[in-house]
Amino acid sequence: MRLRRLLAGALSALMALPAAPASAASVDELERTLQALQGQMESLRKEIQQMKQAPPAPPPAVAAPPPTSPAASPAPAAVTPGPSTAPVGTTTTTTNVASAPRDTQSGVQVIPEAVRPSWLTDFRLGGYGSVRFEAADTPNVGETFTYRRFVLAGDATIAERLRAVFELELERFTELEVERTAPSEDGARGFSQSIEGSNHSEISLEQAWLEFALTDWLKFRAGAVLVPLGRFNLNHDDNRWDIPRRPLVDRGAPVLPSTAAWTEVGMGFTGDIPTGDLGKLSYQVYAMNGATLDTSVELFARASGELEAEVEISPHRGTADIDLKHGKAIGARVAWSPGLGDEIGVSMYYGRYTPSFLPSEAIWSSAVDGKKTFGPFEIEAQYVYTRFQGIDRVVRGLATQVLEQALETGLAPVNTTIEFELAGLADTKHGYWVDLRYRFMPDFVRKSFLATHFENPTFVLVARGEQVWLRGMVTETAFSGGVVQAIERENRLVNRVTLGLAYRPVPLVVFQLALERTWTDHGKSLAGVTNFIPAERTQSTQSALLFGAAFGF
Amino acid sequence: MAPDDAPRALFPEASAVSKRIVAATPTLQRDIVARLGRRPSMWEEAYAIYAAAGDARPLGHVVVVEEIGKHRPITFAVGVEADGALRDIVVLAYREAYGGEIRDKRFLRQYRGKTMAAPMLPYQDIINIAGATLSVQATGRAAHKAVAVLLAVGDLPA
Repeated sequence: MRLRRLLAGALSALMALPAAPASAASVDELERTLQALQGQMESLRKEIQQMKQAPPAPPPAVAAPPPTSPAASPAPAAVTPGPSTAPVGTTTTTTNVASAPRDTQSGVQVIPEAVRPSWLTDFRLGGYGSVRFEAADTPNVGETFTYRRFVLAGDATIAERLRAVFELELERFTELEVERTAPSEDGARGFSQSIEGSNHSEISLEQAWLEFALTDWLKFRAGAVLVPLGRFNLNHDDNRWDIPRRPLVDRGAPVLPSTAAWTEVGMGFTGDIPTGDLGKLSYQVYAMNGATLDTSVELFARASGELEAEVEISPHRGTADIDLKHGKAIGARVAWSPGLGDEIGVSMYYGRYTPSFLPSEAIWSSAVDGKKTFGPFEIEAQYVYTRFQGIDRVVRGLATQVLEQALETGLAPVNTTIEFELAGLADTKHGYWVDLRYRFMPDFVRKSFLATHFENPTFVLVARGEQVWLRGMVTETAFSGGVVQAIERENRLVNRVTLGLAYRPVPLVVFQLALERTWTDHGKSLAGVTNFIPAERTQSTQSALLFGAAFGF
Repeated sequence: MAPDDAPRALFPEASAVSKRIVAATPTLQRDIVARLGRRPSMWEEAYAIYAAAGDARPLGHVVVVEEIGKHRPITFAVGVEADGALRDIVVLAYREAYGGEIRDKRFLRQYRGKTMAAPMLPYQDIINIAGATLSVQATGRAAHKAVAVLLAVGDLPA
């Protein structure tokens, strides 16, 4: 019965082939068609032979696709499980490619399409997270667990060529609680409001953009995009890295105008340009609102008439609505990959960084980065240079603003001291990091629990060296009568060396062990040049043991 | 590239190509798992198998298979020589948000000549693409699966 169905199906498939008139086809074409038909007949003959030899088929465990005609549909053939030299009985349709129909003709079992569409309208959730234990010789750190961040990411294929991506970051964030009450006391009604949250935490939109792919080499992107300055900012996911702390130039003593992951709202283009044997060229270029100075001012009026002001200045990501600077920034990166695993990138950023109430001053940054792979060895590095123009004018402008604010509040100080808390403002900043990696998996581990359940587990030995130079860093400014008397500046250097061992059971998960030593100029405090070491006034070094876990999904 | 164009791309010297659709029945799946030594990341409903011939002799086959990259299926056309060695691979559809570099010829060229015995894994015999490691691993799994399908249906000698 099954044999008869198969023959009927095969004959129908053969009949479905277009019968080209002999006069319209060349001899070569006819010969090729004949060869194809002979091949198909041979294949069918083999299957018939196997079916004759095979025992009767048991009912299939999973329902087979419905037949178009009960009378003509063959049942799925039985197969002896396990490795076998004999070909497996299968449910097949055979056609010539040139005339392959979307569906089989009547009499032949309908088999589902073997290939799904090239794009699917869908939405997928993913993300990454990381946690770290740290034991440091800095008294204010001691031993602590740090919940670094949890980032929820999603990407949607909206239609062919259209997609959207978002990343929502919860950094050091565990809770946010707002309480509002309207207590009543002695007949009088009042209001109270309190906000509780985890210290130094933030919720941040790391990315949220729409992309319209006109071609592979021209894709329009709009939204909150990662600024293409250096390779780390673009590849900042914690689970991609083998050391549980981000580099100094990108995070700890940022040379980037804003700390990674640095996002700006803007629009631009990205794409990949194949250059044949010369490799591949990739680019990203965006116009954005751009980084701006974020200032907070605290005023202290002394009984002596002296006014003290503490001004904290830090470059920060730009606004997401009205651009208070009234000046757009541009960022671009071009990367050339001459071979697999190798890349060199050049990037730049230029824009105004002062808000409109201060003199217009520009910031410009440039970066060179690259990666080279030699078998299990990798070297990856990045150098960034940033120049803040007109720091003096900015400081004077800020001092004037503080004074005006003081006068408006009715204070007329005889002497005013303004202390600038450094938070990343210097004439120039530049620095680099270099990662050296060696990937391996010892044979004696391959049969242990560290390897047996995973497709390609890997250990990574990693060493990182980094330095950051801060030139003309403003530390303190004093002025009286509205005139700046002095701007104190420093040149500082921050160094760090890290040695680590990472274990990756799967590419998305990493356990990281690292020893790091950070130091700055002798007798100076690390607190003034980093944003993560609450060092004592003269503590110029810190040693720390780190153990981290990072995951993606 | 459309699946029906893949055989001509992978076996340009072929003078005849025939196509066969093989349903992925449970028995066929069991056979494939036995040959792979593990379950693939996903099952197709059917396999498009193309036989390429030239000068009245078989050149090899092309099998359309799919494997999950990070979240979505990647569709590959895998060309396999008559002796079971890989001819080349073409990515028919890449649906992930990142990692599209695996479509590059210079990456796929690494798989040429590899057999079922090769690990086809990053940092072992394949140069990885940073940020696309899951897609790189999926490519190796797809290559293994294609050969396993051909062995299971009897198009390759065991």
